[in-house]
Amino acid sequence: MAEQYEVLSPWAVADPIPLRGLAERVPSLAGKKVGLFQDVKRAAKPILTVVERKLKERYPDIQTSWYAPQSMSASELDPKNIGKFQDWAKGVDAVVAAVGD
Amino acid sequence: MAIEAMGKPTTTLVYQYFLNDAHSTASSRGIPNLRVIPEPIISECTVKEEIEAGVSGVFDQIVANLTRPLTAEERAPKAKEAEKLSRISFKGNLAEVNRFFYQRGWTDGLPVIPPTEEAVAEMVAASGLPADHVVAKIDPRRGKATVEQIAINAVMAGALPSYMPVLIAGVKVFTANPASATMTVSTGSWSPFWVINGPVRKDLNLNSSYGTLNPGDVANAAIGRAMSLILKNIGGIRKGIEDMGVFGNPGRYSMVAAENEEESPWEPLHVEADLKKEDSAITLSFPHAFQQLNSYATDDMGILATIVSNIYPGRFGLLGIILTPPVAGALGSRGWTKKKIKDYIVEHAKAPLDHTVRYYNAPDRDKLDPGEMVSLFPPGRPAEINIYVFGGYGAWEGLLSGGSGSTAKIELPPNWDKTVARYRNVVPSYVRY
Repeated sequence: MAEQYEVLSPWAVADPIPLRGLAERVPSLAGKKVGLFQDVKRAAKPILTVVERKLKERYPDIQTSWYAPQSMSASELDPKNIGKFQDWAKGVDAVVAAVGD
Repeated sequence: MAIEAMGKPTTTLVYQYFLNDAHSTASSRGIPNLRVIPEPIISECTVKEEIEAGVSGVFDQIVANLTRPLTAEERAPKAKEAEKLSRISFKGNLAEVNRFFYQRGWTDGLPVIPPTEEAVAEMVAASGLPADHVVAKIDPRRGKATVEQIAINAVMAGALPSYMPVLIAGVKVFTANPASATMTVSTGSWSPFWVINGPVRKDLNLNSSYGTLNPGDVANAAIGRAMSLILKNIGGIRKGIEDMGVFGNPGRYSMVAAENEEESPWEPLHVEADLKKEDSAITLSFPHAFQQLNSYATDDMGILATIVSNIYPGRFGLLGIILTPPVAGALGSRGWTKKKIKDYIVEHAKAPLDHTVRYYNAPDRDKLDPGEMVSLFPPGRPAEINIYVFGGYGAWEGLLSGGSGSTAKIELPPNWDKTVARYRNVVPSYVRY
């Protein structure tokens, strides 16, 4: 009989993450300020440009506000970025994000 | 996801083939029900008509995702049943263990060494650290890289126990580099490239000479392989699910070099990173292509012309240069420092504007001169160039498209000399024929 091996699992344990529910939706986008979060890939901007135009066509009184991350390698939650990011997010009612990927 | 946490409804557009990736990322951040919309617009698309059509097809869903009331599950997601991980995963013979691991998605496709208690314990002992010591958590899964978990993957890769300090430093430098999380899952198929400096190179018989990047040296082969398994099985980076590399990269099996510090005319790589020469260190960068060039001539100007003429415009600003000892010597003996070489490259590496990405993405393209010679390095940003010295004694240069280098010191345990002595003689002996 071939030698038997009792082997350990290489798949790591990950700490359970507290789950979070989604934010309440808005009843309508009419009259709202919609944030356009443009991720770092180049297609994100033209995708959101079309989204913005279509939103304004459907909801003439809608406002938009753009946000683009500072770089691919730094999170918007980094201390140096978070203030600007939070200020922007506080000022909008809903957000459409495009990854461009 | 952070925006949802701030109480603002969101919806995210992702390329349809990235849906698994988006779900893994959202779940690992605690928002499993994020409203993601798969769209058909190819990554990095520049064609307006395709973007228009792609957005039109999902526009109603964008509006609905921001306005449709939440379901009970979206409002308060129920925790999935906790993953039941038993420490002992399987019992069987060599073929059965390999088949089980492969079917679980835990290997790189090649056979692995069974990580038995005994083999893993030997590996842990060589680290000088407790088995349950958490070195880091690796994104995107945030898996815990304990010393034991690193050791299990190291055994599988065929690593010798003496490699543990390098692997632990590898985990540290990977998790400390802000580019890692992006580079290892990007469509660009960037490969971790590990360069080892300092006395540990000799302790572990790492190759820095002929065929440095070839298979055949257990240290160069197993350190990179172990790191790849660690990123997969601890970080949860799996191709086609989280890692969206389009072509993939053979460097993902292993891409490890030692610098030939003794025959380099310059300070070693880790000294550039403010470590001491007598320290051991590991430097990580992420090339996605490797080009080998025969020197136009073996004097300094011939060597530099070879480099600046072959930096391709498609990846400006990211570059690693490999110089063999004689090529580095030819430059060093003529007064070229690493800084002078880098400055020369930035000044002289040029291409016609319409050979660069800048031209095709310029909003005023029709007003530009497509034939204007422009620098391949983006203006206003320091050029990121790494220079490595290794390889055989030939008139060759290597260009690596890719960068984002960072360095970490390799901490050696107190009983290091004994560990080295135990494994130092594990070297191949080739018969003459």
